[in-house]
Amino acid sequence: MQYKEKELKKGIKLHLIQTEKFKTNLIAVFLTLPITRETVTKNALLSAVLRRGSKNMPTLIQISQELEEMYGASFDNGLDKTGDNHVLKFYLESINDKFLPQNDENMLKTSIEKLLEIVFNPLIENGGFKEEYIKQEKENIKRIIEGKPDNKARYAFDRCIEEMYKDKPYGLYKYGYIEDLEKIDAKSLFEHYKEVISKAKINIFISGDINEDTIKLVEENENIQKLADRNADYYIHEMETKEKVQEHEVIEEMDVTQGKIVIGLDLNLENEEQRYDALVYNAILGGTASSKMFQEVREKASLAYTAGSSYIRYKSNIFIKCGIEIKNYEKTVKIIKKQLEDMKNGVFSDEDIENAKNSIISTIRSIDDEQDTEITYFFGQELTNHKISLEDYMKKIENVTKEDIVKIGNLLTMNTIYFLKNHEATKEVQPCK
Amino acid sequence: MQIIENLKVKEKLYIEKLENGLTVMIIPKKGIQKKYVIWGTNYGSNDSKFVVPGEKEPTEVPKGVAHFLEHKMFEQESGVNSLDTLTALGVDANAYTTNDHTAYLFECTDNFYPALDELMDYVQHPYFTDENVEKEKGIIGQEIMMYDDYPDWKVYLNALEAMYHEHPVKLDITGTIETISHIDKDILYKCYNTFYNPSNMAMVVCGDFEPEELLKEIKNRLIDKKANGEIKRIYPEEKEEIVKEKIEQNMDVSQPLFAIGIKDKIADTNERVKKHIAFEILLNMILGKSSKLYQELYNEGILFVTPGLDYEFARGYAHILITGQSPKPYEVYDKFKKTVEKMKNEPIDSEEFNRIKKRIYGQYVKEYNDTADIARMFLADFFKEINSFDYLEEITTVNEEYLQQILKEVFDDKKMIISVIKKG
Repeated sequence: MQYKEKELKKGIKLHLIQTEKFKTNLIAVFLTLPITRETVTKNALLSAVLRRGSKNMPTLIQISQELEEMYGASFDNGLDKTGDNHVLKFYLESINDKFLPQNDENMLKTSIEKLLEIVFNPLIENGGFKEEYIKQEKENIKRIIEGKPDNKARYAFDRCIEEMYKDKPYGLYKYGYIEDLEKIDAKSLFEHYKEVISKAKINIFISGDINEDTIKLVEENENIQKLADRNADYYIHEMETKEKVQEHEVIEEMDVTQGKIVIGLDLNLENEEQRYDALVYNAILGGTASSKMFQEVREKASLAYTAGSSYIRYKSNIFIKCGIEIKNYEKTVKIIKKQLEDMKNGVFSDEDIENAKNSIISTIRSIDDEQDTEITYFFGQELTNHKISLEDYMKKIENVTKEDIVKIGNLLTMNTIYFLKNHEATKEVQPCK
Repeated sequence: MQIIENLKVKEKLYIEKLENGLTVMIIPKKGIQKKYVIWGTNYGSNDSKFVVPGEKEPTEVPKGVAHFLEHKMFEQESGVNSLDTLTALGVDANAYTTNDHTAYLFECTDNFYPALDELMDYVQHPYFTDENVEKEKGIIGQEIMMYDDYPDWKVYLNALEAMYHEHPVKLDITGTIETISHIDKDILYKCYNTFYNPSNMAMVVCGDFEPEELLKEIKNRLIDKKANGEIKRIYPEEKEEIVKEKIEQNMDVSQPLFAIGIKDKIADTNERVKKHIAFEILLNMILGKSSKLYQELYNEGILFVTPGLDYEFARGYAHILITGQSPKPYEVYDKFKKTVEKMKNEPIDSEEFNRIKKRIYGQYVKEYNDTADIARMFLADFFKEINSFDYLEEITTVNEEYLQQILKEVFDDKKMIISVIKKG
């Protein structure tokens, strides 16, 4: 694998990942902006509308047919909340020319052109997006927002974050809000699009069997040439200082068979290097099948089927999640608190540390075995302004000591305990202190 | 080892059936860090009635044993859980159970051979006690309850319920809290000894390996076990007719979920791949992203994501399933049926046919990107007596006439069902 980057214009960066491991080429365009209540719903709608048609491929059916002709090239778009940024992601994956039955096509070139066309050359009618598309996509976004509670585990996690980040950017829902949707129309969304296109940080990634000419392909693309230099407005996550908060508990009811616990913890790091310690800490706490959460909550106490934790480095939080029988709430929280205490007091073995490190290193080592994972890795470096090679990354993990991990335990504070339970069990569950 | 090369994706399959009956398949991938091994037994949740080789009378066990066994295999006599040992080696280990097979696997970058030691050791050495079997009932009980909250799983199970009178495919893989309460260690040992014989198993490895050398390493880790005779599996007689056309359930969902099913006859072994490909093309022509029907339903706000289009088959059953979410599921169903009827009376649109065929071909090629996808695909297909490469070759034999033929044969109004989960 060879990685190269080039600033095409100020605030617009091309990342090239040359690799021959795959049958496919993957191209991605990410537009990054700060997430705000003002823009979050507009961005969600924008992402959906762009997918509907471009100037030269004005209908969904046309886009679909052209992609099918390209041996099923697949276009995909998504929205991410990454720290305090909102990221509009657009992908196009197509078969490498080597694996096509006829060898006379330049699939990479066509793919780059198509993706850039969809993002940067939208269909405009009477100074706005197409009314019909706006109307339909508003309905679709509304459905997504209304469908939020369908996935209970995800819902509980989102609710815990909302409680922790009330009135703050990270507490926003990435698809926005129904009451804000109504205020958007075809013209105002186009105005918003122009803002996005001129202010967002633009990252373009191309992964696959590519060469020097690929840079030219992108540089000379007319949709890229149209774009102007910008002082890209987005949030770079370096260090996050946490305010002290009173631990609190939120219990909500819904029609569920299994209860969901999500515990949000704040991590007040003293320096950036401690991010690596936090990764190892999280792996021991709940990142793997030999972790404390999995062993103590699932295996020994037989309380849960899912039990684990994750570390969100952009926001410096650790989230503990498990699905349990509703009547076992207090018992489970008690066991979880005991695990956090044990971590603080160094009650874990050298073997636990080794296991955790091995598991993280194995993940790092296979980053370049998947095209989208590798793109996400390089994108993460952009957002943290922190470049590190895979080798150095592994070394940092190897150098983490037991003292470093215990330290993390002592920098962690409980923020919110969120519990989603059913209606019937009201009387059985006592809030736990 | 026998070598089967596919020039379309430029990959090779090394395959050998060992003396004890175990089939080993290796797909080398140069330059990839990730190594993936999967060891499976031709035994899934459907196999709850069978004749043990050497016995005369059939044995019937509670529903959910195959999945229960999968959970319990990790436990060792030493008190150590093999999942911990594997995790300690930095490998990502797991297991799963389907209707027709059970598989144990790990993915790693380093420590492949020490992890292979552990995998092959625990799969060959079961250790069940009254106590450890009881404890597992709590964990599996939680797993069953978790699935109870998944409307997409419910809509699927209900669809099977509407299609099948007797076939065990309609039952939950995990069993129910009631059925698993009857499982004990003797039942587990009996099923283990019957189905975990090498002659009923296959191993697939994908990664940067020298195949002959790897085969030797695998052989060294096999304990001495003779191939046993054929296991007779007993499935109840299944009628061709469906059970009922409509099935509904209320759940806490924001939008109704639906599954449209078409019950199919079991195809001949040599026709199944071709038939599978033809269904993929047909279903995409009817309701895929570029289809007229999908565009129409999308514009009317009846569909907003392309529905899942699947053909599922194993021993004793085969069906088509179309799954999605819609505010008006019955309208999707009616329009689907009308489109099918119309298509039956018209020639297949050649341009559309060729375009979709290209797309399906591209999808097959993409399957060869990832070691995990490759190994899992070869294992699952093997238990269906299919070589995965066949899809890349057989696609060229599927033509418009064949498509028209299976459209008329299979897409029969009387074989269609719809399952809906409504907001309630």
